[in-house]
Amino acid sequence: MTDSTTTTDENAAQAGHGGHGEGEQSMRGLYITIFLTLGLLTVFEVYVPTVYSAAWSGTTKMLLLTFLAVTKAGLVATFFMHLKWEKPWLRWIALMPVYMGVALILIMLETLYR
Amino acid sequence: MTSGHVAAADSADHQTSVPEDPHFGKATGGKVGMWIFIAQDGMSFGGLLFAYGILRSSAVEWPVPSDILGIPLTAVATFLLICSSLSMVFAVQAAEERDQAGLVRWLIVTILGGLTFLGIQAWEYTHLVHDGIGFAQGSWEGEPINALFGSTFYSVTGFHGMHVTAGVIYLSCILRRAMQGKYTQGGDSSSPVELVGLFWHFVDLVWILVFTFVYLL
Repeated sequence: MTDSTTTTDENAAQAGHGGHGEGEQSMRGLYITIFLTLGLLTVFEVYVPTVYSAAWSGTTKMLLLTFLAVTKAGLVATFFMHLKWEKPWLRWIALMPVYMGVALILIMLETLYR
Repeated sequence: MTSGHVAAADSADHQTSVPEDPHFGKATGGKVGMWIFIAQDGMSFGGLLFAYGILRSSAVEWPVPSDILGIPLTAVATFLLICSSLSMVFAVQAAEERDQAGLVRWLIVTILGGLTFLGIQAWEYTHLVHDGIGFAQGSWEGEPINALFGSTFYSVTGFHGMHVTAGVIYLSCILRRAMQGKYTQGGDSSSPVELVGLFWHFVDLVWILVFTFVYLL
């Protein structure tokens, strides 16, 4: 696992800096893998509300769907938007809007348990 | 990624005008700027979703979205945006490989994906308005429903639709210059394609969240 990750990183670094050949092929494969994962997760997502449609399963549905959506958004930001290969400062800038999600969860919890 | 490896890749291929920055690495000023823009734009979407979450969680009555909104069609639209994100990364890769034909081809595919998405949204809006879901008041199958359902739905999806429209215009401008070969000259010439890509992926990323929170939940 560690070895394959390192190889992908190196290939990506090469591709990101104009290298040719194997690096691009490996990046193309990675993009297609991410794309297929996103498609598969979307199918799961559409399926979740049909399984958890009863009133008692509302929380499970909400947690599952939120988890799937955040995973998909994370995949797009990490791989398609190249955050995996950026320096920490740029990643911190990208993380700023997450604050809104944290604030929303806090306020919704306050409303629900008032 | 080791610095030695990057240096070797650079010297073996072409010169890069952006010096290595201790905080941002090889990111261009344009890229840092685009990320700052995306962060604040994400906050804007966050604000709308925030308001939607509060209004919905505190509402006495709220319709089940999947009863009113067409989930299968929107799932297709979602998949379409994901497809256009894939064609966008291929466009960026083609620009870096100085493959002008590939760049133009993938940009066109991306633009078509965006336009089809907008077409689906226009079709959806037309049907919803016709069926009684207005911006400030709403009814469904003759029964009045919480007017905030329509208000929040059109606000969030409309704001996103404006972003797709802006993205299509932005991509079309990039396509025009790509056809003139301006982004396939090596070095940092491909950078604007990467920037439009960042914006486009962001629009896709936001839709992933909107689709879940507004349609599925």
